Amino acid sequence: MTLAELQALEERYLMRTYRRGPVEFVRGEGAVLWDADGKEYLDFLAGISVCSVGHCNPAVVEAVCEQSRRLMHVSNLFYTEPMVRLAERLAESSLGGRVFLSNSGTEANECAIKVARKHANARGVERPRIVSFERDFHGRTYGALSATPGLAADPALGPMLPGFHSVPLNDAAALRDAVDESTAAVLIEPIQGEAGVYPVTDEALLAAREACDAVGALLILDEIQTGVGRTGSLWAYEQSPVRPDVMTTAKALGGGLPIGACVASPAAAEVLAPGDHGSTFAGGAVASAAALAVLDLVDNAAMLRSVRDLGTRLREGLLALDRVREVRGRGLMLGVGLEDGIDAALVGADLLERGLIVNVPEPGTLRLLPPLTVESSQVERAVALISESLLSYSG
Amino acid sequence: MSARKPKKSRGKAPASTSEAAERLAKIVDAAEQAAASVIDDAERQAQEQIDEAHERADRMVAERLREIADELDPGHKGEKPGGHLKPVEDVSEKRKEPAPEGRSNSAGARLLATQMAVSGAEREDIAKRLRSSFDIEDADEILDAILGPQEEE
Repeated sequence: MTLAELQALEERYLMRTYRRGPVEFVRGEGAVLWDADGKEYLDFLAGISVCSVGHCNPAVVEAVCEQSRRLMHVSNLFYTEPMVRLAERLAESSLGGRVFLSNSGTEANECAIKVARKHANARGVERPRIVSFERDFHGRTYGALSATPGLAADPALGPMLPGFHSVPLNDAAALRDAVDESTAAVLIEPIQGEAGVYPVTDEALLAAREACDAVGALLILDEIQTGVGRTGSLWAYEQSPVRPDVMTTAKALGGGLPIGACVASPAAAEVLAPGDHGSTFAGGAVASAAALAVLDLVDNAAMLRSVRDLGTRLREGLLALDRVREVRGRGLMLGVGLEDGIDAALVGADLLERGLIVNVPEPGTLRLLPPLTVESSQVERAVALISESLLSYSG
Repeated sequence: MSARKPKKSRGKAPASTSEAAERLAKIVDAAEQAAASVIDDAERQAQEQIDEAHERADRMVAERLREIADELDPGHKGEKPGGHLKPVEDVSEKRKEPAPEGRSNSAGARLLATQMAVSGAEREDIAKRLRSSFDIEDADEILDAILGPQEEE
């Protein structure tokens, strides 16, 4: 089937929720993708931070195949070993409490919101509020969407869930003011991803932690994009001065299969009771086996050190380029701020032509999320391609 | 008719020698390959054991550091499940009392350093963050407590 035929079918049958790039990918290995014509691409987006251990990582493929041959699904009414082992692994590597497994990041956040509301209810709060930062992105289901100010403002999608408020990013004073006795939680990303890679300052994180502690609210960190080694530590909060009460993760966790998790510290681990929450597919044996294989690879000192080293190399290479104004982020989650007047969308399209896949989350920013297993020669190649593209840019 | 014992062909002797030499060479080759394979196997096994030992050591250090992080974070220290749930009657009495700036900053700095150590960050990277986020110019005291005293070169 040709690309034109695929596009015709898309036009006829798929809801128009995405604007796709004009490429059909047919194969992937490590940080490289191949299109239907055999053209090679260096993938510095990794399926939006999903394929963090590289495309078709052999260990993940083997785990998936092995589990698929034995057992795929039994529902949550019974036990499977991968599900329980994954919960143990996630809890023990982070907050130490309990885990709810989901199928995606937005569902993990739905669970976190439910935990926060029920936790607040036990404090006697009747109209619970949840505070986020402006431009946060927490997902597209209605709870998570309500905590995503940019999308929640669309009146055509309303009404949203009540009780969601936002304050400017990193405005510690505004955050303190926004949190009161009715606050169930502060729900924030430690580094805003979809907004264009904007880290939350240590001061703002401390303000959030203190404000939550003062009223008994929960601090929820959305680590859907930052987690699973992306920033050079297994969880981004490990490079911050706070520990959350609840953490959500997804994306890279499944190595390409859909899975998410809401991890609660002991403070919030007992909030949900049987019947409060559930999901048919969540914690499925195959996705859980894949996640365990991913954690085997990523929860490793040498791997995390490599992410930090390669991140530094990528950052320094980019900062040295003409027409790059700034580089934001941590580890291998970087936002490249371009000089005023440069349309990042045009640069992104040009890079795709040149064989480098990046993302453009806002008009002046390129977002780079390469696989954590990327090689240093591939990092150098990506910097060279971005340099060529920027030098040839004429608007 | 006399039967004579056939003479050994003198021409065959060199061929035989060469076959023997060839065989010998093959045997030596095979022995060398076997030896190389044994050495490779031994090296691989040794490397695996070293890697395993490193991983075990990393895990033990990480576990210990996580325990320290738990101790540093009062919100997580020694909690019983559900211990943070506030009884309903507390709500009206509770006041918004942020922790004093100095204390929270100090605890925040120590938690940051401990968590970064758990995640495997280098001493100098932790010191850099403590400097940029908490204006701590001399982080040795904090870092020595977490990572042990710096070894003299």
